[in-house]
Amino acid sequence: MAGPTTETVFNIFRSMDSGPAAPSSAATAQAWLDHHSHSLGFFIDGKFVHLAERRSLSVVDSKGGQVCGVLCAEEADVSHCAASAVSGFKSWSLLSCYQRAKVLLRLVGVLGLHAQCLSELAQLCVTACSPPSLIRLLQFYSSWAQLRDTLLSGWTPLGVVAVVTSDVSSVYSLMLKVLPALAMGNAVIVVPGRSVAPPALLMAQLFSGAGLPAGVLNVLTGSDVTLGVKVAQNPNICYVTYSGSKPDGLALVQASAGMGVPVSVSPCIGATCPFIIFESADINSAVDEVIEAAFKKKSEVHWVLCVQESVCENVVDRLKLRLAGLKCVSLQSEADRSLVDTAVQEAQQQGATLIQSCSAPPSGPLYPPTVLCGAAPASPCVVSPAPGPLLPLMTFRCHKEAVAVGDHSPHGLATSIWTEDLTLALETAKNLSVGSVWVNSHSVVDPCLPVCAHKDGGSCTDGGQEGLYQFLRPSVSSPPIRSSAVPLDYSKFGTEVSPAVIPDPASSPPSYLQFVGGKACKSVSGCSVAVQSPGGGGVLGLCPEGGRKDVRNAVEAALKVQPGWQKKTPSARALSLHALAKGVEAKRQDLATSLHTQTGVSMDEAEKEVELSITRLALWAAYCDKVQGGSLPMPKSGSALSFPEALGVVGVVLPDESPLLSMVTLLGAAIASGNAVVMVPSQKHPLPTIAFIQVNGQLLSRAGQGQGQGRGRVGAGAGQGQGRGRVGAGQGQGRAGAG
Amino acid sequence: MLKLHQMHTFTYLEWVSRVRVNTQAVLKRAQSIQGQKLPKKQWQSAWLLKAVTCIDLTTLSGDDTPSNVHRLCMKAIQPVRHDLLRKMDMHDKGISTAAVCVYPSRVADAVRSLKAANSSIPVASVATGFPAGQTPLESRLQEVRSAVNDGATEIDIVINRMLALTGQWEAMFNEIRLFREACGDAHMKTILAVGELETLSNVYKASMVAMMAGSDFIKTSTGKEAVNATYPVAIVMLRAIRDYFLCTGHKVGFKPAGGIRTAQESLVWLTLIKEELGSEWLHPHLFRLGASSLLADIERQIYHEVTGQYAALHELPMA
Repeated sequence: MAGPTTETVFNIFRSMDSGPAAPSSAATAQAWLDHHSHSLGFFIDGKFVHLAERRSLSVVDSKGGQVCGVLCAEEADVSHCAASAVSGFKSWSLLSCYQRAKVLLRLVGVLGLHAQCLSELAQLCVTACSPPSLIRLLQFYSSWAQLRDTLLSGWTPLGVVAVVTSDVSSVYSLMLKVLPALAMGNAVIVVPGRSVAPPALLMAQLFSGAGLPAGVLNVLTGSDVTLGVKVAQNPNICYVTYSGSKPDGLALVQASAGMGVPVSVSPCIGATCPFIIFESADINSAVDEVIEAAFKKKSEVHWVLCVQESVCENVVDRLKLRLAGLKCVSLQSEADRSLVDTAVQEAQQQGATLIQSCSAPPSGPLYPPTVLCGAAPASPCVVSPAPGPLLPLMTFRCHKEAVAVGDHSPHGLATSIWTEDLTLALETAKNLSVGSVWVNSHSVVDPCLPVCAHKDGGSCTDGGQEGLYQFLRPSVSSPPIRSSAVPLDYSKFGTEVSPAVIPDPASSPPSYLQFVGGKACKSVSGCSVAVQSPGGGGVLGLCPEGGRKDVRNAVEAALKVQPGWQKKTPSARALSLHALAKGVEAKRQDLATSLHTQTGVSMDEAEKEVELSITRLALWAAYCDKVQGGSLPMPKSGSALSFPEALGVVGVVLPDESPLLSMVTLLGAAIASGNAVVMVPSQKHPLPTIAFIQVNGQLLSRAGQGQGQGRGRVGAGAGQGQGRGRVGAGQGQGRAGAG
Repeated sequence: MLKLHQMHTFTYLEWVSRVRVNTQAVLKRAQSIQGQKLPKKQWQSAWLLKAVTCIDLTTLSGDDTPSNVHRLCMKAIQPVRHDLLRKMDMHDKGISTAAVCVYPSRVADAVRSLKAANSSIPVASVATGFPAGQTPLESRLQEVRSAVNDGATEIDIVINRMLALTGQWEAMFNEIRLFREACGDAHMKTILAVGELETLSNVYKASMVAMMAGSDFIKTSTGKEAVNATYPVAIVMLRAIRDYFLCTGHKVGFKPAGGIRTAQESLVWLTLIKEELGSEWLHPHLFRLGASSLLADIERQIYHEVTGQYAALHELPMA
């Protein structure tokens, strides 16, 4: 065959081939790497720190060649880095909003100068990076930095924030966490995935060139999640946020549970998103876009094509024609190729027919864009998609079924729907349980869009004003107290037996019940736990010892009633909350006494707390019909709408302080916005909560909330519930501020 | 969508009138087409020569006379300097433009010039009250007949925009059928004048109706409207061509015209056709570019590719 240089004009004239893609140059990035001798250190305190004795990990390009080495951080580096971040936070948080905004804005200029280097470097490391989208991020968050004290008065930065990403995430998703953290006045320690490490280090260097004080942005490299856990363990870290793949996110949450550091995860990589084409769609456009989504873009998600049965033939015909000209897509590795081959064979064995642009090359990390027609929700290619250009195609009969088929997956990240019918579009968007719905478009991302995935999609809202609250706390609240890591055995979690309560006929303390599904009941195990009086002088009462099964029952009860509660009109929810407030008002004396005996505060203070709790409930009642979405200022054409939605069932683990006030604050926020609640009272001070439930049991059962109680244990399950609770409160513009 | 042959024309027209096109999605597609990498080096030369062979070299001015029409015909026969073609070994591959396009009254002049030069390049004529189409039907039909009589083998007719804008698709269908008959054996290219059709949905419908009525080509514009050949409009027309092909198995050609001036743009057009319809449409019998000044720019690009230097305008023969 004629090589590229010898191909004659006449041959090309006849074949009309497009010719080879121009080889991309990486001269600028190589020069930067040369300058660092192809071995990148950590970025701490505004400069590169290179330690010869550290183990080095190699970053490889798409062909497996070594790009550069990055160091593997150890315990000492983490503490060094955290110390630098603490001092960085001091100088950064002392600056005015204007000064912080100016630094971010200056980086826009700096990035403009070095965009070539950054995108070349990202390409070498096989990471997605588009300088224009980073510039948009910077501009968006620099204006938030400017407006923090104006629009978010009463909020204060957390301190040192750790941003962890997994190996495959993009520079954009990293900066979507880093920039709002910085804009709100926090210092940041970045723990980037391996392939995103070199671009992250370059960004850090550019930042310090733009005038970011030393120590405000630090980068530690190493094996991402293990290092992430080490960083989370450092007592100076106030918040850990993660973006990347789900297994790594889960590992991070489990390893850092019980340390008193909030961890939130956005496992956006590897999720499955449905692409739904209705018969009323502009089918030609839909087909073009699904090809772009599934095969052309370097995508972090897997797409599943769902087509209405009546137009399936049309869609398939057009897919065949449009796929015909496409070239093979390069896979990450040889190993991926065998996974793809297996997946295709498996699909074919189950009767799927293939639409391919060309037949697959016999071997090598290349595969042609392939549509697997005749897939079903149970097909392996839908349940666990292979890492390659495969697009399963399923059919549905009616609009309702489209929602059912599209929704029935653990992923709740996003869906693209195609129809020219406005009513259908709005209804479908409302019924789908996903974070983002794109109508007649796909993969629209912008920092002004708040993204909060449903189901397995994480515990974190990124983007928009809502995404800022994860990096802030109310100025009136005190920073959370760190506890040392407790080793947790997840196989035994929730099944430990507590020490038996020895009956003492002399005192015979009253025994209390927990409240599940509208009924007072004992714990499943039948065990109880003694509640001590504040001085430790005696037993105040016996509480049921809730366990695994109690939590299961409570969650089940809550799940049953939550949809109905959410569908209630805002004014109906407000009425219920007002009634709760009234209930507290009627029994204010009893509740104050309970607070007094439980916590040992003076009667005066206890009465004050009850009074505050009444106002707090009234406040949330007022919020019921004021939590609103709206239209968002998209820089591109088209419009974006946001609708606040209930999270579903929210797990709340109550603190020891101000037991009544903290409870009504969290409970009110959650149920005002349509959630059901599973609440675990403080292990030390459960009695005021129980008193409240006794007062309001009748009302609460109508409002539909389960309450498991007993020893408060924080684990992966509860931990996630807790995270979501925080987001819910964030949307309602308030958090657990006891005071 | 129903198969055409299973349906009565009327039902099909009924279906056509309900089709909708999503403007934003089409605009996005147009943007992505313009962002694609274009061929380089000898691939670029080959593609540009392909563009040359698809050009309907056009002059449509009030001051056209036999002498400038003659010059145009000679340029059509030798569109790129012979020595440049020889360097690429393309001098004996029959590179000429696809046709020469003139007003009906100049058809005879063009036919005479081309005949004298022993060339078989077809002469195309605009007709049917070009550009507005606002003359009585009978005179529009007469225009077609006289152009064919004078030796035009391709007729570019304009549709009646009044019928399209008021949704009288059946009337438009019937009118185009009449033009088709008047054309006889001549190829008929139907100009949709997209700049005056208001919506992309109308563009799609007009395309479909024009093809159903027997057009060999559908053409974007006359070059006299405010908005001419744009990529979004082209995408809609190309998709209509594809849909028509899927329904009937019949391939209809596409001709963008108006405002195409640079070699770069011609490469984008070829890319667009290749992506939407495939390489088999990249041939003068299915693709034409209506242009007058485009050829000069393409020749300059080829000059640069062959010699490594940029040509001054006077170094290349004028049309």
